[in-house]
Amino acid sequence: MIFATVPFPSFTLESLPQLPKLLVEWLLTLVGAPDWLVIIGGTAAMAGTVVGVFLSAFALLSLVERKTLARIQNRLGPNRAGWFGILQPVADGIKMLTKEDIVPTKAEWLLHLAAPILIVVPSILALGVMPLGREWVPVNMELGLLFFFSVGALTELSVFMAGWASGSKFPMLGAMRAISQMVSYELPLIISALGVIMVTGSLRLSDIVAHQEGFNFGIIPNWNLFTPWGFAAGLIFYIASIAEANRCPFDLPEGESEIVAGHMTEYSGFKYALFFMGEYLGLFAIAGLGVTLFLGGWQAPLPFLGWVPTWIWFFAKLAVIIMSYLWIRGTFPRVRIDQLMRFAWLCLIPMALLTIPAAALWVFTGKGIVSWVVTVPLLMIPWVILTILFNRRLAPATRTYTFADS
Amino acid sequence: MIPLLILSPLILLAALGAVWKARPVHAALLLALSLALVAVLYLTIGADFIGLVQFMVYVGAVAILIVFSLLITRPSDEAEEIQRRPRSMVTGLICTLPVLAVLLIALVKGDPLTLPAADAPPLSIARLGELLFTTHAPAVLAVGVLLTAVMIGAALFARDIEKPKSNQPEK
Repeated sequence: MIFATVPFPSFTLESLPQLPKLLVEWLLTLVGAPDWLVIIGGTAAMAGTVVGVFLSAFALLSLVERKTLARIQNRLGPNRAGWFGILQPVADGIKMLTKEDIVPTKAEWLLHLAAPILIVVPSILALGVMPLGREWVPVNMELGLLFFFSVGALTELSVFMAGWASGSKFPMLGAMRAISQMVSYELPLIISALGVIMVTGSLRLSDIVAHQEGFNFGIIPNWNLFTPWGFAAGLIFYIASIAEANRCPFDLPEGESEIVAGHMTEYSGFKYALFFMGEYLGLFAIAGLGVTLFLGGWQAPLPFLGWVPTWIWFFAKLAVIIMSYLWIRGTFPRVRIDQLMRFAWLCLIPMALLTIPAAALWVFTGKGIVSWVVTVPLLMIPWVILTILFNRRLAPATRTYTFADS
Repeated sequence: MIPLLILSPLILLAALGAVWKARPVHAALLLALSLALVAVLYLTIGADFIGLVQFMVYVGAVAILIVFSLLITRPSDEAEEIQRRPRSMVTGLICTLPVLAVLLIALVKGDPLTLPAADAPPLSIARLGELLFTTHAPAVLAVGVLLTAVMIGAALFARDIEKPKSNQPEK
């Protein structure tokens, strides 16, 4: 066999995440593999890069989260494994892998096994359509946003499978809580994304990012967040994304002090780790979508910072959003289930619906001063009215403690 | 053609399982599986939008609705099995035979589908949206009215149940 010398394609810091793909393709071409194998190898390497990057981020986050929470709660946090606990994720991984895998006698083993797998898959699929950098869009789908929400629908079913197949009470209660919460908060999540689609005129996520390019007055980024409808929609998206990711203060499905671990109660060992992984990957996916839709994706925040590789900006913004989640987790108490439902249906969904006409007016009035004058009152007045109503009339009734008070 | 040959037996098997399984939750999950496989079929023939919407609506909403209503209406599902009666077979046939007949008549007597040329550009999502909201706007509006009516009805049902309860536990 004749080895043709294939020049290695040039790459810059910008296309550094493409390196594994280029390397695999180069190697395969070098040994004279057929074209279809080169394509498959390159795609697999690209998928592997995305999964690898986000799994490392998951390992890092599991440590950062414990350290941050410890700092907020005036503790030290993990500090035994390695320098400042840096090896803690590795120790956790070994612990999870070597634990016994217990399947309860009353469980349906097939569904019990399928649930943790099906909860990781949609998160990884959703991460695949995210534009992570200018040249780093793993799959540039025309229907990217729709794909994101479609695969997200599988999460609810797998949570149900986990809860039901475990064959005991706590998982079932946790799954019912989780599903009702996810269904309720998916509505404001999707509705608040509609305004972005209307303004961009495309469901392709890279188009949405490209549409937010540029700066107003030379300094304010042209992000969707810095428009009246975008600010409202972004805020709603942020709140709903916390609930979708089952984070505190909306962590009722797995409220440790109430129902052990919700739908994950009967899981142990690596299956439990898979749930954990699915949850964090889902968190990355939903926060990444928020960054893409409202915070300009991989666009630099200041005009003179354009020389930094774009994927660094994406991950920096993602880190800021996730740190804010941790901060909220360390600060707010868990809400009650009736408060949770009332907030979604009576406050978030009406306000999310209002962002659609606001976005439409924003486009039709030419995105100038007039649009600000029209859209700000359209959003502000109902918001003030809703806040007053919510605080006075619609607020959950004060709980009466029948036995303790009498 | 090959995806159709692989997928259609799987879809049929899942659908048959949904009918024959004795435990309602199994039946619901198999129904979700067959609906998801139909979505995959749409994706393989290039109807991306329909496939993704099928997945989102049927797996994300309809299947969840079914399992959730199962859980709420029968809390002690443990090992409960559906009683099979000859009468339910008859009602099932009465419901499904007309549908089957209409499908068969359409298959035999209807005009054969004219497939677009293989090199025709795929329908873009913008064009699809334009068609839905211009040519087919009446149908979209009718579906919207229907769904709104259903939602108001559901809200009224929920309201009626909530009213007469008093939250005083006995002492």
